Amino acid sequence: MTAITGLTLLLLTGCAQNKYNWNGYDKGLYDAYKDPNQVVALQIKLQETVDALEKEKQVVPPGLYAELGTLYLQEGDVEKAKKYYAKERDAWPESKTLMDTLIKNLDSRKKVLEKSKT
Amino acid sequence: MKYLIVCLSALTLIGCANIQKKDMSAFNAAAPRSILVVPVVNKTLDVDAPVYVLTTLPIPLANKGYYVFPVNTTKYILEQEGLYEGDRILTMPVPTLAKMFGADAILYVTIKRWDAQYAFIATTVTVEFDYKMVAADGTVIWEENKKMAYSPQNSGGGGLGGLIAAAISAAITRAAPNYMPLAESAHQQVFLMGPNQLPDGPYNTPVK
Repeated sequence: MTAITGLTLLLLTGCAQNKYNWNGYDKGLYDAYKDPNQVVALQIKLQETVDALEKEKQVVPPGLYAELGTLYLQEGDVEKAKKYYAKERDAWPESKTLMDTLIKNLDSRKKVLEKSKT
Repeated sequence: MKYLIVCLSALTLIGCANIQKKDMSAFNAAAPRSILVVPVVNKTLDVDAPVYVLTTLPIPLANKGYYVFPVNTTKYILEQEGLYEGDRILTMPVPTLAKMFGADAILYVTIKRWDAQYAFIATTVTVEFDYKMVAADGTVIWEENKKMAYSPQNSGGGGLGGLIAAAISAAITRAAPNYMPLAESAHQQVFLMGPNQLPDGPYNTPVK
């Protein structure tokens, strides 16, 4: 029984090692979906994660910068949203089309808002 | 927990030591670098299941070496377009969706089962998923199905001690059936271990 359990652990770790340091992104997102009050906690957690990884010169996992950007966008912080979308694009070339579109849309939305004020 | 591990070990062994291999030529021809995981289609009565399942998909795919589009950002963007439900997104033409995100491939996941069957002593928790990956032009490049069930009673020891343990376990499961480890194992097995596992993505290819 113990042998089987040990073998499983070996197999599981052998087959499914984490390539990146996600620092509980999946769990944080789950909590935020389960209870919308946890969205702020997710944002804080993601911010801490990317700050720590940058400081240690480690790779920020695919999508994390953008997820953080979207959380800023949802609370109305367009500048921070754009900052993290740009970081996602620069870290992961596959995201360029989407990140450029998002940044462009935010810029044109801002222009429309400024025009409507004057 | 121990029971779950033992249960999984049997499945893992089968998963890792397979013989049958499916044709991967369509996948290899498309050679995707990036995967867009769109909100999950729900065929169950649990309205929360799709978002929970969504959280379990990016990490195993990224581990396989692909760029995975941020799932919550993707969900948010589609909602801005008025697309809230997985089945609505399923009706969108693949090339349109792929172009919108600049994605090489799209992964559609359908939840077919997400339930707990209550019995007097033990509860069986079951999850089942259909997975379909398409290239940007709409060609299906990879398909899988996975069903996982967890019942503490399966591996229960005999005697009164065993019965009490099973009863406690059933009570815990009844209060809050935990589907997440099962969902995670299902993905791990189809993406990383099964006979039809995904080929390594660009970030897992050794640098020359």
